[in-house]
Amino acid sequence: MRGQLATVWNYRHFWLSLAGMDLRVRYRRSILGIGWSLLNPIVMTVVFCIAFASWLGNGDWRSAAPFYLCGLAVWEFIKHSAVQGSLTFARNESYIRQSPLPLVVYTLRTVLGTSLHCAISLVVAIAAAAILNRDSHATPFLAMGAVLPAAILLALFGWAVTTLFAAANVFFHDTQHLAEVGFGIGFFLTPIIYPKERLIERGLGFVSDFNPAGIFLDVIRDPILTGQVPSMVSFERSFGLTIVAVALALVVLSRCERRVIFHL
Amino acid sequence: MPAEIDLQDVHLKFRVRQANRLSLKEYLVRGLFRSSANPVMDVHALRGVTLHVTEGERLGIIGHNGAGKSTLLKVIAGVYAPTSGHRRVTGRVCSLFDIMIGFEMEASGWDNIRFRGYLQGETPRTIREKIDDIAAFSELGRFLDMPLKYYSSGMLVRLAFSIASATEPEVLLIDEALGAGDKNFRAKARERMAGLMQSARLMVLISHDLKAISELCTSVVWMQQGQIRMCGAPAAVIEEYGEAMTARSPVGAV
Repeated sequence: MRGQLATVWNYRHFWLSLAGMDLRVRYRRSILGIGWSLLNPIVMTVVFCIAFASWLGNGDWRSAAPFYLCGLAVWEFIKHSAVQGSLTFARNESYIRQSPLPLVVYTLRTVLGTSLHCAISLVVAIAAAAILNRDSHATPFLAMGAVLPAAILLALFGWAVTTLFAAANVFFHDTQHLAEVGFGIGFFLTPIIYPKERLIERGLGFVSDFNPAGIFLDVIRDPILTGQVPSMVSFERSFGLTIVAVALALVVLSRCERRVIFHL
Repeated sequence: MPAEIDLQDVHLKFRVRQANRLSLKEYLVRGLFRSSANPVMDVHALRGVTLHVTEGERLGIIGHNGAGKSTLLKVIAGVYAPTSGHRRVTGRVCSLFDIMIGFEMEASGWDNIRFRGYLQGETPRTIREKIDDIAAFSELGRFLDMPLKYYSSGMLVRLAFSIASATEPEVLLIDEALGAGDKNFRAKARERMAGLMQSARLMVLISHDLKAISELCTSVVWMQQGQIRMCGAPAAVIEEYGEAMTARSPVGAV
């Protein structure tokens, strides 16, 4: 394990440069370029404000917009970690066939890209909360301080999800398609376009409590919107979920690493 | 520490599906009511290979297609992990396998020099020192500014070889990468390869060019159906192999 970590560090220029190239190539011919990473969540938020803001109670778009922006940032990160992550080993097949680098290097390439887009979306959400909710006690600096450790946990959880889906897709090629369908359903079971209270009212609060996206929304969205540190219970849930996911990913990776190349 | 390759009773087995896809339908149906339409094939690619190559040696590997030569080289490189047996390789390994794979087609020639360089263990500082030499050797000039998807196959070979050979290996593994590019470039490539082979402390070369093997190697291994059929001085092994080549020989090691 220590040897693998040393190798990952020694070859950091390789996977960092590929992750950088992925970002440049993604928007190579577009006029807005990386601006699409900003525009995408903003446009979706505008649509949600128009269509669903009344579900939030007061219907005021100034409080609705940061709510949707935060929810989308977290949700899209977890979804892309799974759906794009599924293709990690297939995408890097040519490198895997000629170099004995640990497979974790390729998962880091994927996670770096998805994490950057999530970071951009979260910064937009925090800025929106600070600008639109001037009268609340939330300040950007307080929000950032409360969000940072949760964001680190989310990034680790995203790596675990990428690894698990990448390994599954090698042996079971429908994984990516099942993930797309699953996340399409999961979107409506997660309090992204409606508050968590709507689930609790219907006795379905457990759906959010056991939903990984719901767990991270509690520790990331709440401090941004209210400026208050989340409860210890929420932090413990996100911490525990991350530890379990990372441990599972490490076990799966160590068990299947030697066999992946024969299934590509 | 001296460069060394030590393989003890190495076996490599793996399973492949004939169409190499496992769908949800296949996963559910397998082992239930009817036999699978996509059966698994067990491949015993290496069978008890024992090999010891020490510093200063230049080992040639010959054999029919499917005998296990490339598989053996990839086990030595660490790309395939042995199913059983022991593998130990000491020294900085440089593999010249299929040098045409592993390109990022949307990126420029300059970017690909960096990516491939980093994959070979270079750092930004060492690549900065080498990048001009690599570019000059490839003779691609301003084409290096273009994405690789606009390159001809000959240009890709020039770039691939220039990057792959700009290294200081201790253990050099070559899988039939001697022929490269057009006639002019091939002469340069041969000279560069000769230099690499001289500077490497240990070399393993796979080639069907028996003349090159006999000139370049100090010992030769003849692989057949995943096993070492003969190992020894180049002249003796190549002679035996030549005589056997006239006989009908099955392909592969299943």
